[in-house]
Amino acid sequence: MKKKIGSTLVVGSGISGIRSALDMAEQGYQVTLIDKEPHLGGVLTQLDYQFPTDHCGMCKMLPLVERDSSSQYCLRKGLFHENIDIMLSTELVAMEGEPGKFQVTLRQKSSIVDQERCIGCGECARVCPVEAPDPFNGGLTDRKAIYLPVPHNIPNAYVVDLDACTHCGECEKICPTHAIDFGKEERKKFRILVVDDELIVRDSLKEWLLDEGFDVDMAESGTEALEKMSKEHFHLKLLDIKMPGMDGVEVLKRAKEIRPDLPVVMMTAYATVETAVEAMKIGAHDYLMKPFDPDNLIPLIVNLYHDIQSAGVKEMEVGSVILAGGFDSYDPSTGKDTYGYGLFPNVVTSLQFERMVSGTGPNQGKILRPSDGKEVKKIAWFQCVGSRDQQADADFCSSACCMFAIKEALLAKEKSEGQIDTTIFYMDMRTFGKDFQRYRDRAEKESGVHFERSRVHSVETTGKDDGTLRVAYADTTGTKHEEDFDLVVLAAGQRPPTGAEEVAETCGVVLNPWGFCQVEGFSLSRTSSEGVLVGGSFSGLRDISESVIQASSASLEASRLIHSKGGGLAEEVSPETGFRDVSREMPQVLAVLCKCGGTLSESADFDEISSWLEAQGSVTGVHAIDSLCTHEGWDELKETLQGNSANRILIASCMPYVYARKLRELGRSAELNPELMEVVDIRTLAFPGRDTEKEAVHQEVRAVLSMGIGKLKGMDPLPVATSRIVQKALVVGGGIAGMTAGLAIADHGFEVTLVEKAAELGGNARTLHRTIEGHSPQELLEESISKVEKHPLIRTHTGAKIIYSQGHVGNFSTSIEKEDGQGETLDHGVTVLATGGIEAKTESYSYGESEAILTQHDLEEKLAEGGVEPANLKTVAMIQCVDSREEPRNYCSRICCQSALKNALFFKKQNPETDIYIFYRDMMSYGFMETYYSEARKAGVIFVPYDVGQKPEVSVEDGRPRLSALDPILGREWLLEPDLLVLSTGVVPDAGREVAEQFGVEVNQDGFYQEAESKWRPVDFIKEGVFMCGLAHSPRSIAESVAMAEAAAQRALRILNSDRLASGSVVAEVRHSLCALCERCVAFCPYEARHHDEDEEMIVVNELMCQGCGSCAAVCPNSASVLRGYRDQQVFEVIDAALENVV
Amino acid sequence: MTRKQTDLGIPVGESDLLESVQEKVRACMQCGTCSGSCANAFAMDLTPRHLWRLAQLGETEEIFNSKTFYLCSACYYCTLRCPRGLKLTETMGALKRLAADQGIKKHKQSSNFYDAFIKTVERYGRVREIEFINRYFFSLKDPFLPLGFTSLGLKLMRKGKISLQLPILVPIKDDKGKVKYFEGRFDKLFRKVEELEARS
Repeated sequence: MKKKIGSTLVVGSGISGIRSALDMAEQGYQVTLIDKEPHLGGVLTQLDYQFPTDHCGMCKMLPLVERDSSSQYCLRKGLFHENIDIMLSTELVAMEGEPGKFQVTLRQKSSIVDQERCIGCGECARVCPVEAPDPFNGGLTDRKAIYLPVPHNIPNAYVVDLDACTHCGECEKICPTHAIDFGKEERKKFRILVVDDELIVRDSLKEWLLDEGFDVDMAESGTEALEKMSKEHFHLKLLDIKMPGMDGVEVLKRAKEIRPDLPVVMMTAYATVETAVEAMKIGAHDYLMKPFDPDNLIPLIVNLYHDIQSAGVKEMEVGSVILAGGFDSYDPSTGKDTYGYGLFPNVVTSLQFERMVSGTGPNQGKILRPSDGKEVKKIAWFQCVGSRDQQADADFCSSACCMFAIKEALLAKEKSEGQIDTTIFYMDMRTFGKDFQRYRDRAEKESGVHFERSRVHSVETTGKDDGTLRVAYADTTGTKHEEDFDLVVLAAGQRPPTGAEEVAETCGVVLNPWGFCQVEGFSLSRTSSEGVLVGGSFSGLRDISESVIQASSASLEASRLIHSKGGGLAEEVSPETGFRDVSREMPQVLAVLCKCGGTLSESADFDEISSWLEAQGSVTGVHAIDSLCTHEGWDELKETLQGNSANRILIASCMPYVYARKLRELGRSAELNPELMEVVDIRTLAFPGRDTEKEAVHQEVRAVLSMGIGKLKGMDPLPVATSRIVQKALVVGGGIAGMTAGLAIADHGFEVTLVEKAAELGGNARTLHRTIEGHSPQELLEESISKVEKHPLIRTHTGAKIIYSQGHVGNFSTSIEKEDGQGETLDHGVTVLATGGIEAKTESYSYGESEAILTQHDLEEKLAEGGVEPANLKTVAMIQCVDSREEPRNYCSRICCQSALKNALFFKKQNPETDIYIFYRDMMSYGFMETYYSEARKAGVIFVPYDVGQKPEVSVEDGRPRLSALDPILGREWLLEPDLLVLSTGVVPDAGREVAEQFGVEVNQDGFYQEAESKWRPVDFIKEGVFMCGLAHSPRSIAESVAMAEAAAQRALRILNSDRLASGSVVAEVRHSLCALCERCVAFCPYEARHHDEDEEMIVVNELMCQGCGSCAAVCPNSASVLRGYRDQQVFEVIDAALENVV
Repeated sequence: MTRKQTDLGIPVGESDLLESVQEKVRACMQCGTCSGSCANAFAMDLTPRHLWRLAQLGETEEIFNSKTFYLCSACYYCTLRCPRGLKLTETMGALKRLAADQGIKKHKQSSNFYDAFIKTVERYGRVREIEFINRYFFSLKDPFLPLGFTSLGLKLMRKGKISLQLPILVPIKDDKGKVKYFEGRFDKLFRKVEELEARS
């Protein structure tokens, strides 16, 4: 059991919410993870493929150290971690207190279905008469009113969509485990007071409500109502607003004094809606609009009843709150420009298309036209739908849609073996992330995805009513084209999540003009309210890697805050219970059979199975339990185990995945290692309705049982190894990223050594004077340097260099040479590499031949020194993507467009008469940066797109640059003689390669550090214990570097936090007597957990780094490498058992 | 002192002639939505996107050398969908007005046509074809021009599409009841509107 030193609340369980929760949990905090949806995973449950890898990989977020504390299966199916409490269908409704000690109130909606009892058999959905569009498939298919939120979740319980449900009660009747309860019996005890001056309203309401089984009382005036209230107990009050004498609002006020907890629902005519809204502010629960239609009203009241009656309200104290509410997609049918969405079935959003290519989608992954199910031959993607559109109130870019579209086009190509014709209509292809540009180039050149720089005006039909869509557009030269497509995919942009305003108000955070969470200064995770952090797309849409980084930054800040408050919410630490040593005993298996409440007896005979089991050699006992999933059943099992001498437990029930957590608990109570327990699924085999002979079912059941026995017999668990951790960190690089990471680690009480090769701290930020948002990097720099210098736990070596480093996670040893030439060897448990980047040097565009030709960096410095006088400038030209986004430096440096916009706007502000020309390929003003692009356009900056095959040409005459370029819109040559020519040359890594070699980590082809996984582990190296941040990973802004540094620190802290770390129970080991030292396993190990120890002449496995994947066991020619829990003999026995009982 | 003029008759040195137009389209980012949708683009020598580009660059001469803006039929399709929310149809209108105000020879026919049209409307509140076309022909001061339309005119008349109508005018009398002059029925209304517009 891990120590719990504080707790945090994470609101939203998408990628960033899960990342933050796991971060905090891995550090030992108690986490409550809530989501208003009935499922985990947010939008990612709907997305099967991610760019640029084109597969999923979400599981890579799971813990790598102490991994037994968490589930280790597909994260899209579900998550379990012993420090995380997951509450679904839950919202944060109130928050009080101060940072470090917030009192939060959570409200959990009832799902009608008891999630513990539901076995996911689907009988309820079969009988449900209601069909509703299935949001999981983007509305492309229908589902029942009782449904599985995500079809592949584990465990997977049904929920009721109360808005669609007609309360017919069919599902309640058929449920085999009695998990569904609409509470009809309870309704009789539910008293409703109807207050209205009109008799007819009172009477009809009473009649309707009595029909529904409620207990109703009436009052004709406010006075009478108050009188009744003071005498009797009611559960709900329906209150008219307009009444003679005392009006509804007044009654409400007084009612709140008498019975503050009584829910009051206002009844209003259209004219008094505003009053009703006012009433909600003073405590009304909701309001209903007159005139009433019983068909609408009754379900509303029934829902209210469920809301009030069965909603669980939970209050708790947490140290910090992380908001990870994600985003909502723009609904194109609500805009001015619908592109026929909602009208033509063959116009879909990108999310719907994602469902269309998914194996769990409407056509199992076949791309068919929604209109007629015909094969799709031609698809068009329209970018910027509801983004970069001021008419849709969206002066922002949604950042991820461009890559999303490229990915979808590639998927379409792949699924159709290149047969589908794909065109992407775009304004700027924003491929600003790491490796994105090459991904785009591959799509265009290798896969034949067609890119058309044009914004389409509208979609029309061909007039033949055959579902084909006609798209008219003008290309860059102005030529008009008409083209027919089978499918049009709209890249629907981001919108703030529903309920963002309420959450913001509850938590006191400020939203930006578009309703997203506003972040503070150079932080991407701090909000305006201390102790409330934001992660992921709630502060603006971002791709997975950025979300993961930001989520970790948020958890770091949350943890830092709790730590600074002394972690005052400590819970009791329960002592670790020891397991019985059974290694010298013969295997004795106790088989436990779950009868699933009797449902299985129809198709299987339990007595027969029991007697067969008893006859098995190592089985010493058989015990049948009615239903194991209930508390009673579980307690019965626990009791059976008390004093039982069995040393192996075989549980035959359902859904083995679900039991991971329960087995750990059982292990503790029975003092038996959970590794010696096995769960097999007999329910799927024996569930009625399979139309199979009883004997055949028995044979299958016997097969899985004997496989389980085989596996258990061969189990010989060793105590889980733990490794000692040197609780110190080494940070290489003293720029903003390095200092931020160092401070973050040191603030948690660990020693940090900061090594910087330059004579001073600060790195790139020394030469930056303002950001486009108007923040001052110099202030950040001064603040960081002074904090680093004053911090008692940080030792700084400037002018120092790394000589040599060795070791592995938890135990590194690095030699450095200090400024004075002296050497020093440092022991540390983790390493953070923040070696930074520098502006690329160039020889293009006559750089160096004229003083008037500068790089953006040169310009920045000259402006700071006063070397450029804006008032004297008549013409300024800037060229973007100098030597970038083409081989060999085929990546976007991401910050140059911002720099160009920033400097152009600065010039225009100083002297509006200056003509400014920016020659660009795609303006990468992603996210809310788009506003500055709009601003620059409005200020009269002239933007000229150029093609990489036809770059501007620069010559120097009499010391003055002359620039000629083609304007593709007018199709004519330009000739400029600018006073200044500014080149955006981009970023290259500074010391990456050498340092990488010293630390034994990888760099990519551009010399940037190679992360373990670009999406899910963006700050980790493959080599555990070494982390990266800042420009050395990829070009990024200061705020983005800070976030990444915090994320790296977060990853480091999960290792530093304990003095010992436990490996997983399934790890590889080497039988040295058989090992020929061929080193194939070393080469194959994907986690670099093995090395050849030449002194000892043996292959050594680092148990902390080993993830138990089994690659080594598979490649070893001598069977010298084995995986604990999957030994050859044991696996053969399982296979034999399966074959013996084969049908 | 005679002011210098360009070939088109635009006074040289009036660099801010275009300023109001530039102001309207400065934020254009050349996405092409307008051009892709323009119903009359087939007849235009420059697409709307080209026109905005030229405006951004201050190419007055070229803009007024083009007949694009006169071909705009004000369907508002482009304005409806411009992602920058630019008032493009209005900008086309502004260019028409500028061309008329500057009396640019190249656009004489078009601006006279507009002028003749609105003058007829001012008189009657609707178009009266004969008077409208006569006004137009007279304004061009080319006696041979109407001849080209004779057969069309006769055809239309035969089918009863147009008929010869005498101007119907309201006599305006002075205090003594003597007719001072004649005016259209709606002249007063338009005068009032002008007054109000001038005031605001």
